[in-house]
Amino acid sequence: MGKYLLRRILQMIPVVIGTTLLIYALVFALPGDPVAAMFGDKPVNAAVAAQIRSEYNLDKPFIIQYLIFLKNALTLDFGNTFAGQPVIAVIGRAFPVTIKLAIMAFVFEAVFGVVFGIISGLKKGKWYDSVILIVSLLLISVPTFVTGFVLQYFLGVKWGLLPVTAGSNPGFIDLLMPASVLGSVSMAYIIRLTRTEVSSNISEDYVRTARAKGMSNKSVTLRHVLRNSMIPVVTYLGADIGALMGGAMITERIFNINGIGNTLYQGIIRGEGTLVVSIVTILVLVFVVCNLVVDMFYAVLDPRIRYV
Amino acid sequence: MSNETNKQVQQAAQEPLLEVKDLSVQFTTDKGHPITAVSDSSFTVYPGQWVAIVGESGSGKSTSAMAVLGLLPGTGKVVGGSIKLHGEELVGKSSKDYEKIRGVQMGLVPQDPMSNLNPVWRIGTQVKEALKANNMDVSREKRSSLSKALSDAEVKLKTRDDELFIGSQERPELLAAAKAALQKAGVASVDEKMATFEETWVTGSQTRWLVAQDLIKAGVPDDDAWAVAKAHVTGSNMDDRIAGLLAEAGLPDAATRARQYPHEFSGGMRQRALIAIGLASRPDLLIADEPTSALDVTVQKKILDHLHTLTDSLGTAVLFITHDLGLAAERAQHLVVMYQGRVVESGPSLEVLQHPQHPYTKRLVNAAPSLASQRIISAKERGVDAESLMEHHTKGEETLEHSEHIITVDHLTKEFKLPRKREMFKAVDDVSFSVKRGTTLAIVGESGSGKSTVANMVLHLLDPTSGKVTFEGRDISTFKSKDLLAFRRRVQPVFQNPYGSLDPMYSIYRSIEEPLRIHGIGDRKSRVKRVRELLDMVELPESVMGRYPNELSGGQRQRIAIARAMALNPDVIIADEAVSALDVLVQDEVLRLLNDLQAESGLSYLFITHDLAVVRQIADEVVVMQHGRLVEHATTDEVFDHPKRQYTKDLLDAIPGGKLQLGLDS
Repeated sequence: MGKYLLRRILQMIPVVIGTTLLIYALVFALPGDPVAAMFGDKPVNAAVAAQIRSEYNLDKPFIIQYLIFLKNALTLDFGNTFAGQPVIAVIGRAFPVTIKLAIMAFVFEAVFGVVFGIISGLKKGKWYDSVILIVSLLLISVPTFVTGFVLQYFLGVKWGLLPVTAGSNPGFIDLLMPASVLGSVSMAYIIRLTRTEVSSNISEDYVRTARAKGMSNKSVTLRHVLRNSMIPVVTYLGADIGALMGGAMITERIFNINGIGNTLYQGIIRGEGTLVVSIVTILVLVFVVCNLVVDMFYAVLDPRIRYV
Repeated sequence: MSNETNKQVQQAAQEPLLEVKDLSVQFTTDKGHPITAVSDSSFTVYPGQWVAIVGESGSGKSTSAMAVLGLLPGTGKVVGGSIKLHGEELVGKSSKDYEKIRGVQMGLVPQDPMSNLNPVWRIGTQVKEALKANNMDVSREKRSSLSKALSDAEVKLKTRDDELFIGSQERPELLAAAKAALQKAGVASVDEKMATFEETWVTGSQTRWLVAQDLIKAGVPDDDAWAVAKAHVTGSNMDDRIAGLLAEAGLPDAATRARQYPHEFSGGMRQRALIAIGLASRPDLLIADEPTSALDVTVQKKILDHLHTLTDSLGTAVLFITHDLGLAAERAQHLVVMYQGRVVESGPSLEVLQHPQHPYTKRLVNAAPSLASQRIISAKERGVDAESLMEHHTKGEETLEHSEHIITVDHLTKEFKLPRKREMFKAVDDVSFSVKRGTTLAIVGESGSGKSTVANMVLHLLDPTSGKVTFEGRDISTFKSKDLLAFRRRVQPVFQNPYGSLDPMYSIYRSIEEPLRIHGIGDRKSRVKRVRELLDMVELPESVMGRYPNELSGGQRQRIAIARAMALNPDVIIADEAVSALDVLVQDEVLRLLNDLQAESGLSYLFITHDLAVVRQIADEVVVMQHGRLVEHATTDEVFDHPKRQYTKDLLDAIPGGKLQLGLDS
């Protein structure tokens, strides 16, 4: 197990290098001169521009710029934004908000996804199974921003039940609507996954054997149907944490939340390579670590899986 | 036996334990049409009796058993008749009431040990569930009054405490005390007796009175024996009882094994665990649904022997579901033959076997490979009289002696690298034999004996670590593109699973035509003609050409697989367990077909199987393999009549019903 863990951690190095290099190259390839963008409509003094370029290493070849970034990133020094703030401070402000949002979305999708999935799977063919199926299909097929705007209009504007936007320092109530929008698609997938798993597990031979032991319907369902059905669901949920952080970009835009997604968006608009790459690096790390944790968890859930 | 217990036994014997009368079971299709799976079937099981239901798949035998358990799958429903257990009607019981009956009164040993244990729970936990679900008192035995009467009438039980189990903590003290008692009584050969005690006094399974009885038998005075037993046999805890149950089912080192997961168990071990689960709450009736059909013959025999002794000692009645007539006749006192959802015949086993009345039973008796003792005679010769039959025999031997070797396997060895192990695993170890043109050589062995690995190497699908395979004198490993293609054309495989070896997206026509197309034989028109010929050869109607594999039965699919193998007019067919997945009657048909094809086109077969009974019907020569090594190699008759090695003898003994005498009326 320890050996496996070490190997997996070592494997993270090429993944992180590869993704950051790719993102760096993409930002580098963006059209437009970031220095010119900083000055807006004002004319650019050549000497000042050259100084800014050398300060941000923009005059060096692409690969050197990347290596400098990488070297600094190892000491958690991501440089400064064009506005002069340290990147790490910007991220430090935005990250807690996104984490709060992601956790709420995660709880939302896990609880409702699993509960509705189980109801649907156990009572296949009943009317509420059909309703759950149709709603989940709707959530999957409609893009998040549409769901977001629709909820915003009805819950926020028309009925005034929840705040329309989240504001600068959002609390639980402010994030309720954004979190459910963010979690809605994954919830729909979890409903369907749980439903499929439950309804296929229910006809497994070992479930029949358990009934033949004289076990009550309740304990058979709990110990043999649900316990086994949760294996792929938990795996999906784990991998989804990373996706929620990334997916927050659209939701944060709609509800005007100052989280990581919104910051990332601003960075792309302004062509701030360092900011964009720094955020993406952190997202990649979150993703990779989540995956590792999921794989470890998988071995706990399913005794057939042992890592060597 | 005392008069009292005798009476008890007789009384119990008169009243049936399970009485099924005019049972009808229906399933509903997606479109709402009812399909009758079982109709008007009746059978009876008396306490302590083994009753076997025999029939092919789809005959309704499993459905009847599941109806008794109240565990019909999907839309299944009992639509008529009655099921009485201990005289109590079960049809129409609520599922809550059924839960109370299952486990305590009826247990199940299911068919497939691989899928019947939940992979995420430890074996011990799954046994524990059975005990907990029925609130079993794990510290003492719960035997039915009948089993008590049957087990031994000499010992009079005084109190309920006499049924307390040995606990794992007290066991060392018990053994020490027993030794002291033996020495005190001045018994000879103390060590020998202690060794027996070590073996038989299983924690969580052996009771106080049995311990006392053992000591008395060994020569310890009554009072001393009971004193030792009372002092040191004080009941077991849950873990002890679980280990005891698993040990009873024949699992060695049960306490450790109980902590393992199903995937760490072999098929045989899993089946033992399932037997332990089925018998955990000491049911009066055990339903064994093809309990060993997924296992190797030798393992099958061991497990059934064990189940037999165990159920006998517990006085448990067994409803034994099987497709194997030989096995049924050997194990059960009473046979029930089912065909197309109906009971067509029932009676005492030997009676049914020797004087079958119904035409289906007659066919079944004739086809059962375990009961046949002759090589199948080809269709050509079937027509002619007995004289030429004799000729066949001598001719057969001549062919064997004179014909050239078409495939020779020379000192073949295959090693695999095992994960986490330094040393290599020898799957095949120095095996040599040759297949003579126009004859059949069978490789027999249990799973893991390396027989399929040999087949794959002969097919050039796997490269040997050392040694070589020659085809018509040429080393097949030297074959390059063109030669290899030619070799592939002339040596064709037929695999075990007719469900997996046909592409479900290909029509039957396309499946059979594919090899012709790959090898560029003929044009479209002539290929259609050839496919027609081939279908005719395997006795299937032309109309199947446009159909898909899932629309055909297992036997039909295996015929398609054979037709496909025959498409290129091969010289050799390598059949890897080609009939193992089929029902007896279908199996018989396919074997006859293969045999006829051999007689007509001089094919050579390399027949890989675990089933010696099939070998007798088809093979001229037999190679017996064990642990990758060749154990015995001789003509079929020699192997069957004068087996040289113990392993071959074990295999032969394991053929179910092999020793039954048949006197067919027909």
